[in-house]
Amino acid sequence: MEFWQAALIGLFAYLGRNQVPWLCGTTGGWYGIGRPLMAGLICGVILGDVTAGVLCGVAVQAIFIGQITPGGAVPSDLNLAAYIGIPLAIVAGGSAEMAVALAIPVGALGVALHNFTMTFNAIWPHRADKCAAAGDARGIRVANLCGQLIEFGERFFIVTLACYLGAGFAEGLFAALPDVVISWLAIGGKMLPALGFAILLNQIVQEEWMIALFVLGWVLVSSFSLTTTSLVFIALALALIYVMARYSGKATAGPALEAAAVYEDEEGNYEER
Amino acid sequence: MRSDNMIENTAASATGTTREVHLSKRDVSVAAWRWSFFCLASQNYERMMGTPFCHSLSGSLEKLYEGDKDGLSSALKRNMTFFNTEPQLGAIIPGICLALEEQKANDPSFDEEVIASTKNALMGPFAGIGDSILVGTINPILLSIGIGLAAGGNPIGPLVFLALWCGIVIPLKYFLFVKGYSLGLDAVKLLSNAELKDKITTALTIVGLIVIGGVAATTIKASVAFIYVAGDMTISLQEIFDKIMPNLVPLVIALGSYVLVSKKGWSANKLIVAILIFAAVMVATGIM
Repeated sequence: MEFWQAALIGLFAYLGRNQVPWLCGTTGGWYGIGRPLMAGLICGVILGDVTAGVLCGVAVQAIFIGQITPGGAVPSDLNLAAYIGIPLAIVAGGSAEMAVALAIPVGALGVALHNFTMTFNAIWPHRADKCAAAGDARGIRVANLCGQLIEFGERFFIVTLACYLGAGFAEGLFAALPDVVISWLAIGGKMLPALGFAILLNQIVQEEWMIALFVLGWVLVSSFSLTTTSLVFIALALALIYVMARYSGKATAGPALEAAAVYEDEEGNYEER
Repeated sequence: MRSDNMIENTAASATGTTREVHLSKRDVSVAAWRWSFFCLASQNYERMMGTPFCHSLSGSLEKLYEGDKDGLSSALKRNMTFFNTEPQLGAIIPGICLALEEQKANDPSFDEEVIASTKNALMGPFAGIGDSILVGTINPILLSIGIGLAAGGNPIGPLVFLALWCGIVIPLKYFLFVKGYSLGLDAVKLLSNAELKDKITTALTIVGLIVIGGVAATTIKASVAFIYVAGDMTISLQEIFDKIMPNLVPLVIALGSYVLVSKKGWSANKLIVAILIFAAVMVATGIM
């Protein structure tokens, strides 16, 4: 890996870090290009192997798919995991399972770094307090932006150096691994997405019967090889039928129709936002 | 304008009459974009999004208290308190507070406690709704669609994910901020509509579960290599499973993992280790 490639990956890792403002806040950053799925594409483009990058991105994303960041507390730093694990796997040979094997321990390390910056950045509100007392609104804006100093230093340099110095190490590591370990990683890596989906299911299943819907989606795709887009439309239709039936059941026939119409309106408005 | 405001302000403080300073559409828009971009810029464990909250409103406060240094100072301090929510759906809260600040600037008798208590009362509920609907359900649904389209390493998958997510959430954040400003405290009534929230959550959950099920089916893989040989007869376990239902073994693994997480309360790390040990046993015994 050339140094400019490592530096570019470090830059994107910073832009996709939690709390970084430059890509419309957390939307384009942490929840946008910070997702492993996007990291795979970006690292693939930088390293000249888009297909391998996207495949690694999909594999790492599947493991972390159920992860949200409540109250700024990250259970695993998936940005660091993706922006170090994926490029190292691409230069070491390109297997998605290798990306997963590298990403998981790096993600755990990232939590400590995240806690460090969240603690260190507590100096800025005190500076902002002084500006507030002096009636200096501009000073508060500057103090807010100062939080980025440590975050840039942390993410850019760590990812750049890890990619630049770690490339040779990762190649050597995977070359030295015996076949049985490689096939263990391959089989384990293909099963690990079950973890991401288990966490996600646990988070969004409200009533126990709803797990049947997960099985329905699974069976439809396995048996009829539908595309994801056609599955989305089937799912939307079922959701509308269920919601309309459930929330208009109490009323008689006339008002029921009315209620359904109102719901559509409200749903439409919501989607527009 | 500048000097007019100053004269008005000094006149107001001299006579005690109410003054009239209004925020333009542009002021509100600037505050909304500042929130959209800088809502987490200096997040920390002590005050979380306190400084960003003040950053978002600061430009408007400068206008509202032009020439009144003490007023500006106390308004800035008032908005520097602890704040923490899901910043994308919660964009409505600084919007509401901006409307209240404008009222307060024009009417000194307006109780500033209302501003603080509105902010404190709303941040919890919005963190809950935002985490569960926006980043806990919509983001994974769109990621699943992206993963589905990325089959074989196709870059269209990640790009579709990013376009859909940003296309929905960036306008949503801006709209919620501006709506919060224009409705003020009425916005709270609008959003505490429990039935609407229920309908949206239920519909999204159903769509999410079906789509996620489909994507999980193409992502989780496990095939049985074990072949039973007895004389001339060979039986491949995988062929038997395939006849029962395609993709049966990975489905069992997925549901088993879900049960361990939801019923046994297993943590992510514990499950990672368990899956890797399971894989090691399967490889060692030659079953997989």
